[in-house]
Amino acid sequence: TPRPPRRYVLCEVLVEEPRCRQGIEERALGLAVRDAVARAHGDFGLAACCVSFTVKYLNAYTGAVLLRCRRDAHRLLCSALPLVRLLESRGQRYPCALRTLHVGGTIRSCQKFLIQYNRRQLLMLLQNCTNEEERQAIQQSVLSCSLTEEPSQSGDEEDDDDTE
Amino acid sequence: RRELPDGAARPSAALFKQLVVTALRELHGEVGAALPVDVLTYEEKTMSAILRVISSGFVKLWSALTLLGFYQNRRCAFRVLQTSPFLLALSGNSRELVLD
Repeated sequence: TPRPPRRYVLCEVLVEEPRCRQGIEERALGLAVRDAVARAHGDFGLAACCVSFTVKYLNAYTGAVLLRCRRDAHRLLCSALPLVRLLESRGQRYPCALRTLHVGGTIRSCQKFLIQYNRRQLLMLLQNCTNEEERQAIQQSVLSCSLTEEPSQSGDEEDDDDTE
Repeated sequence: RRELPDGAARPSAALFKQLVVTALRELHGEVGAALPVDVLTYEEKTMSAILRVISSGFVKLWSALTLLGFYQNRRCAFRVLQTSPFLLALSGNSRELVLD
């Protein structure tokens, strides 16, 4: 049986206060993206993108989001992602932005990219952090995720200590 | 050419352009509404016009015109009589050509 061709878009949700990010639900994000696609590309774009559109993965601590769409519609989806400005969670609206990190054909390729990306982010945080305790905490996280090479672990670490 | 079954007020050229842009916006969103469409001529009597669009937007324009059914709660329809990449070709309609 032939599989329908899919594209997976990995993005990062950016919000101004890290506290708001923890309340994000997959459904709210999915609705916000659908609404942005409908505004940008009309009825045709909405129908083309949302045939098999879901939010496959959402990490509220790091803001990593994995979206799925059909292969022919990924350009419509990616061009509409910058138009997502507001996110609703628990009855409140937060300004947000979606940054596209990676577009891949399988979940595995996006997962590999996410692992490398998180590693690089951890190292950057280590360079930039000012507090000695934060430095210790980050060093612990880096050591703990580079010793074991488990492919199933996606390497997401909490970075709620550091504020920009 | 546009057809209004209820014979109400005929639109002006600006309103005609507004209709075209609205149709594009409904079917293709903001990207479609931003497509540069020019109304080259417009006859208010017959409500027919010649539109010009870039060839990459041709399919979007024609599909949007076909699928516009309502405008401000009035039924309407667009009928595309002729399309051509050359303006001169639109001066004669080979469908209505009568061979003597």
